[in-house]
Amino acid sequence: MSANDILDVLNIQRDELKQPPKKKLKPTADSNPRLGMARELYNLIGPNTPPVNLSSSAYNTNTKDRFKSKPSPWTRIEFKPRKDLKVNFNHWVKGSRELLESEEETKKPYFFEKFNVKLDIPELVDEETFDLFMKEIEEHEKEVQAILAQRREEKEQARKREREESAKLKETEKSSDNKLHQVKKEPAEVPKESQGDDKKSDEEDSSNEKSETKEHQDEKKEDQEKESEDEQKSELGQKWSYDETKYLFELCSAFELKWPIVYDRYNWHTTSRTLEDLKEQFYRICAKIFESQENSNPALIESLKVFSKSREIERKNYLENLLKRTPAEIAEEESLVIEARRFELAAKKMLLERSHLLTLLDSPQTTQPIQQYQSSQGLTNLYNNLMIIDKHQKKRQLQQQQHRSIGSLNQDPVPPPIPIAASSSFKKDRSFQTHLQQYLSGLLKQNQIVNPSVKQEANTIQQLLAKRLTQKEEEAYGLFFHGTEKLTPGVILRSSQKLPGLQQKQSVLKSVNSVLHELDIPTAGGTSWKPIMPTRKTMTKYDELIRSVVALLDVKKGKDKLEAEIRLIKSQRGLQ
Amino acid sequence: MSGSNNTTVYGGDEINAIVLDPGSFHTRIGYAGDDFPKVVTSSCYASPTDDAMTDSTSSSRIFGEAINVPRANYKVSPILKDSIIEDWDAAVDQYSHYFKTILNIEYPEHPLLVTEPVWAEHSYRKTMVENFYEHFDFAALYLAKAPTCISFQQGRSNCLVVDIGHDSVSVTPVIDGISLLKNSMRTHYAGQFLSDQVKDFVDSKQGLAVQSTYKVRSKTPTVYPEAAQYQERDVTQVTTSFDEYQQAKVWHEFKETVFEIPEKSLTSPNPQTSNLKEFYSLEVHRRMFEFPTGQSVPLGFERFQLAESIFDPVSYKFHTQELADKYPANNGELKFSNLYDDYKPIKRMRKAESSQSTPTPAGFGASTTTEARGLSQLITHTLSTIDIDLRASVAHNIIVTGGLSLIPQLTERLYNELCTANPGLKIRLHAAGNSSERVNQAWIGGSVLASLGTFHQMWVSKEEYEEAGAERILNQRFR
Repeated sequence: MSANDILDVLNIQRDELKQPPKKKLKPTADSNPRLGMARELYNLIGPNTPPVNLSSSAYNTNTKDRFKSKPSPWTRIEFKPRKDLKVNFNHWVKGSRELLESEEETKKPYFFEKFNVKLDIPELVDEETFDLFMKEIEEHEKEVQAILAQRREEKEQARKREREESAKLKETEKSSDNKLHQVKKEPAEVPKESQGDDKKSDEEDSSNEKSETKEHQDEKKEDQEKESEDEQKSELGQKWSYDETKYLFELCSAFELKWPIVYDRYNWHTTSRTLEDLKEQFYRICAKIFESQENSNPALIESLKVFSKSREIERKNYLENLLKRTPAEIAEEESLVIEARRFELAAKKMLLERSHLLTLLDSPQTTQPIQQYQSSQGLTNLYNNLMIIDKHQKKRQLQQQQHRSIGSLNQDPVPPPIPIAASSSFKKDRSFQTHLQQYLSGLLKQNQIVNPSVKQEANTIQQLLAKRLTQKEEEAYGLFFHGTEKLTPGVILRSSQKLPGLQQKQSVLKSVNSVLHELDIPTAGGTSWKPIMPTRKTMTKYDELIRSVVALLDVKKGKDKLEAEIRLIKSQRGLQ
Repeated sequence: MSGSNNTTVYGGDEINAIVLDPGSFHTRIGYAGDDFPKVVTSSCYASPTDDAMTDSTSSSRIFGEAINVPRANYKVSPILKDSIIEDWDAAVDQYSHYFKTILNIEYPEHPLLVTEPVWAEHSYRKTMVENFYEHFDFAALYLAKAPTCISFQQGRSNCLVVDIGHDSVSVTPVIDGISLLKNSMRTHYAGQFLSDQVKDFVDSKQGLAVQSTYKVRSKTPTVYPEAAQYQERDVTQVTTSFDEYQQAKVWHEFKETVFEIPEKSLTSPNPQTSNLKEFYSLEVHRRMFEFPTGQSVPLGFERFQLAESIFDPVSYKFHTQELADKYPANNGELKFSNLYDDYKPIKRMRKAESSQSTPTPAGFGASTTTEARGLSQLITHTLSTIDIDLRASVAHNIIVTGGLSLIPQLTERLYNELCTANPGLKIRLHAAGNSSERVNQAWIGGSVLASLGTFHQMWVSKEEYEEAGAERILNQRFR
């Protein structure tokens, strides 16, 4: 079944125009007759050849290419892994034999040979210089020992002095004791007294022993120190021979200064050396060798000389002890660390809070430097400036009053004037209102300048506004100029308006609420923070009130805290 | 060059090296670069008994699976003991059998890498080198320490290799790919020890008929204490060594199928022990083991009790004195003769301290720690002897390997005990998940090592050996 058949079944007339290309296609189809599935498929697709050419996908061409192209040659070839190694191995290498056996290729070293790197370890000097080095080292060590011994003697002398003093003290005590005893025992018989004396002395001895246990401990420590020194001496006695040092150097270069391995494989006749011994010997000899060379790196020598065996042993002992801790100890330590951190945090927080409070309580600080006003000239300048500003303000006010008088002259309908005393906020708000008016009038003027044609079509409100109402008139009309504050779009009831002063924490609001209750100020009940009559004035007042209550609460809190602190410090001082 | 294309990832260069890993239970042979040995065969051989030596040719030895055929007057003897080749004639015979007849190797085309245990003596290594150069014509030779190979298999240059094998349990620190000999430890509380325990345990049970598989013709399943019902096959008179070899397979199966390590020490003195016994005697923990005779034995607490002796070797008391004498208390310390062949005990670092610094794990009396060290004590002791700077990194890379480590719950128990014994260290165990990988880990490591491009400069040719001599080669090259 072909596409034509389907079209026939559906009674669809085909364009005459489309047939010629089909006819053109047909002979090509006939040229390679399709069989089986391919033919069936072709019949289905018909002349409607798919938009994407399926036959030439990337895969097919590649396989064809692969069949056509020759595989790249691999050759099994002999190679030497190292120049001095007397063995040849075979491995497979990409490339033809001719290419690989060309001179260039054969001259190339084995690819992996470049990884065969060696550490740069100084060669050991000959035996004579080595002996010389060792002598120098010994002398140097003797000097160090001598210095140490001197220090030790000084210490010992100081201790002796202390001991003598304490002994003297004791003796005086003893003698006084003896005297007392003697006084007591005078009436007794002479032989008894001697016995008693013996006993006494025994007792005293024992007490002395007790008091001297501490000293003994001290002495023990000293003994230990001495022992360690003795050990060092005995180790010195186990001298490094030239051959042994050579053996050490060989091992070091063979194992590339991996000390644990060097130590592991170190097996020299009868000597038993620690890892630190090996390190010390190697480093000090290396330092000597470098010193004897002319062009050596002084920093390197310095770093070599820094090595101290005793320090190293100490460090390792310390680490060892660290590992020996029991799980309980580890847990305890961790908990202590956490606690310490918590304390630190708390202290930081407190300091921060205190600084906040102090800034709150402090007088406002000047943001500008006051130095320029400190001289008399500066003061006069300041005075003049202030005068000028004052004059300007006065001028402006005058102008405004004139404007208003002009405005009132225009015989527009005016509501009956409200007595000044009726508006309580009149004096206070005047400057603010006038400021707003200025802003608005400026805006209107601009409008007039920009498009005078609009002016004629200005609506009545604008006209009204342009007439510059007086304070009283505005109040009477309930007009209010929103200066720069943001307004929510749409109409809202003032009773549902959110007061900016109410943007506080819940806990703060609660305490504010309680304060308001104390003051018998109505809050319209519940959670709604409204005065019963939400006029603009009451709302602003209310907001002001809430703000000041919050500030008050803040200050009180701070004051309490400071007082508590003062009390604490006082009590501490009092205790001490 | 072949390597230049893909060295950044792989760094390998195949030169068709042969890797030989003789173990006390199995010997493995194969090509380097493979992930699995071509040949895994028993480290035993069969040979005619002395009185039956009619045609005394060297080729009368039988290797591999052919050992299992019952033959009259043929004895079975092991080639290795503790991974050390004892019977050199048989060893050379076996290796040439596999090299020549099975793998068909042309010797001069391949280098050979042989693994050796860390406790190999100098004299042994010398005979080893001599034998391999003499009897085989390989292009080159290298001796690699088994723990080093294992560290290469895992790709960890600093690690602690815990190899729980057939003849021995060994603990070896490996630093920068080199085994530390002085810190290595080895005990015999391994597979053979457990096999002997199983044998002792089964023998002590009345009415249990143990017969090797080859002797049984037909059987009817029964459950102990019912008597076994089976018919014996008529076989030729075999030697006792052959019969023992066949019986060992039964013990081996026993270990493989029923053993399980208890979660906590069974011998701890605390009152929980009795609870543990009850807990492990529960129906859930019961397993049946069927002997070749068709007789099944229900095992509950016993299978835990027997396995416990890996951790506490003295927990099982042998019934026969002979076996008890076979395993004297062993604290695992190795003694090395040094380069100059004068024997001196190696002075261990902080030896006196170490016993204090290793808190004895709960349940082990202080007396047993110095006498016979169980697995976790052995590891803990080794850790305590390692240089303090390396201890943390080594403890964090403990590789558990060897056939016996496949006993269920072993790694879990080991981890718990090591953590309690070393609270200051962060312990991490690495064990290959694949069981055949864990059994052949040393061989696989050798295969990795011998196919590395950078390794090829390490080979020692026969020419070099003849020039320098065994002594120098051993000291300079096979460190």
